[in-house]
Amino acid sequence: MIPYLIVLFAITLVYFASAERLIIYIRLIGLQGLLLCGIALFELREINTANLIFIVAETLLFKTILIPYLLKWIVSRSGVTKVHRQAMPGFYLLIFSIASLLVSVILSNSLVNQFVNTIFMSIALFTLFTGLLLIVTHRLIISHLIGFLIIENAVFLFSLAVGNSMPMLINIGILLDIFVGVLVLGFFGLRLRPHTNELTRLKD
Amino acid sequence: MILLLFFILSFLFCGLILLFRNKAVTRILVISYAFIHVALTIYGYININKTELAYFTFTSTGVLLLAVLSVLVIPVIYHGFIYASRDEIKRYNIYHAALVALITFMSGAYLANGMTVLWIFVEATTLAVAALIYHDRTDTALEATWKYVFICSVGISLAYLGILFLGFIYGRGDAASLSFSSLENILKEANPMYLKIAFVFVVIGFSTKMGLFPMHTVTIDAHSVAPPPISALISTTLMNVGFLAIFRVYTLFSSSSIFSFMNSVLILSGVLSLLMAAGYMLKAKHLKRMLAYSSLENMGLVAIALGVGGDGWYAAFFLIVLHSFAKSSLFFQMGQLSRVLHTFRLDETGRYMQLYPAGAMVLLTGMVCVLAIPPSGLFISEVMIFKGMVMNDQWLVLVIAVILLCFVVYAMSTRVMHIIFSEPRNNPVQSSQESVRSIETLSQFLLLGTVIILCFYQPHFLTDLINQSISVLLK
Repeated sequence: MIPYLIVLFAITLVYFASAERLIIYIRLIGLQGLLLCGIALFELREINTANLIFIVAETLLFKTILIPYLLKWIVSRSGVTKVHRQAMPGFYLLIFSIASLLVSVILSNSLVNQFVNTIFMSIALFTLFTGLLLIVTHRLIISHLIGFLIIENAVFLFSLAVGNSMPMLINIGILLDIFVGVLVLGFFGLRLRPHTNELTRLKD
Repeated sequence: MILLLFFILSFLFCGLILLFRNKAVTRILVISYAFIHVALTIYGYININKTELAYFTFTSTGVLLLAVLSVLVIPVIYHGFIYASRDEIKRYNIYHAALVALITFMSGAYLANGMTVLWIFVEATTLAVAALIYHDRTDTALEATWKYVFICSVGISLAYLGILFLGFIYGRGDAASLSFSSLENILKEANPMYLKIAFVFVVIGFSTKMGLFPMHTVTIDAHSVAPPPISALISTTLMNVGFLAIFRVYTLFSSSSIFSFMNSVLILSGVLSLLMAAGYMLKAKHLKRMLAYSSLENMGLVAIALGVGGDGWYAAFFLIVLHSFAKSSLFFQMGQLSRVLHTFRLDETGRYMQLYPAGAMVLLTGMVCVLAIPPSGLFISEVMIFKGMVMNDQWLVLVIAVILLCFVVYAMSTRVMHIIFSEPRNNPVQSSQESVRSIETLSQFLLLGTVIILCFYQPHFLTDLINQSISVLLK
């Protein structure tokens, strides 16, 4: 079951590169949360109840429901529906996305380790590259936020790539990261008019 | 249990500050907190290497940086009282609660004995700093806060990926939550490629806090809008948090085969930081941004010192301590300068010696100290760094560093001299000396005096703490 979920997760990442509408981005973020929940539940066999509740809350409550809801609210308030790209058409972004997938596969195969699941590692690296690509190639603040959330998903996947247990301390770390994400989204993101790219007041 | 008591009291004080709508109560609570912090530092010094709450150890490095923070806490609070005095009670209390939280999180980061706990506290500092940068509620404050939180979050996520790579080496999910001492044993047989990736991620990630190239821009923007006492913290003790995180991983990997790779990464990052600092200082038109670039220059030197090794390791710590004192005093002075001149724009400043002689003297002395001109203690540390470069045949780095430092000295000295002695180029300055008393510069003179004294005499407790901190590397 895990390989199917992982492949589905990778497809959502490729879809990010080709999508043009913000609502698609938001749905993909929600879907990724759901997939991560499934992957975690199948992967983490040695897990206690407290950790299980933590992970379900983190993936289902935060990543699948709360964050997409917040994003949707921001988009509906701003009235912007399309992604504004910084001089990079979707086709080229798609090429970059596929190239980063290839790089991820090559890199993770060169880092073969008896403890690490190579497929997890490949997709985690691909997720990281997609998040960074989105931040670099997009201008809108809301696109940057989505890039940040994708990087958060990469962190989660990386933590799953090793072993079949997930200690509480790592969970706390990841949850704190998400909390910062939500804070950024809910407070500063809204005040900054997230549909704009007016972040140029501070310069030398 | 003392540490637990410290954390409980800190969060209790934060809650009480937010609860009581009274400035006098807030002041009493914040001053009490400062004394508690000093007491914690003394306790840590007496109980070196003692572990508390399983995740915290009073290591020499941690106690040294905690002591620097304790020294700065009192002036930061004092100047904060002045800065926020005209604020409405709600904003006044948010400022002080966030300040107490920030100091607590930094203290936790200094004392953390494992990567994940360290990372959690570093992440937590981002939240507290965000509230403080946004204190003035202006559009520029909002933009700076946004950039700070966003870039720090991305950077710290990358650092966390570096920490998780330790788990790949070990083969257990809890490797990232193991203590530094437990990890040392497994690293010797690890795949060097994993260690290299982990180190690069950690350096890039924590450079958001240390203010080092390539993530240096985040602190520069934060400085231009943050209240001056907060800039003093961001530019010193918060940078020390980033330095500590990188240093912890550096010492952890020092016995592995990637030691020379780490040195090359640090030297490259340091030289590029110096290059950025020199370039931007030459065109800086905003005083606080200029000081922020000066911090970038100093952190670049610290990274080079670590990478060079030998005497450089001692010099890196000595520089960190002295830079904290010198730079914070300059940022405190920026608060008074803005009350006298009503601007941070270089073109609108001038005649400062005439308008506020005590402040002008602080600027002059601070400039001498920060630029490592004798009798500044930073001179000793820079000489040691250069000595380390010569001893390790890093001639190219030496030449590049010296040339770039010449640009930094020129850029900063001409700007400071302009503020002190020249006429303003644009709008005439408005004098309002009555609101700024000379006594407010006392803490700044004390800090700068310490920097000068440390040029001639370094007390045993300081040299002992530094030597113990670098003893792992000397093995």
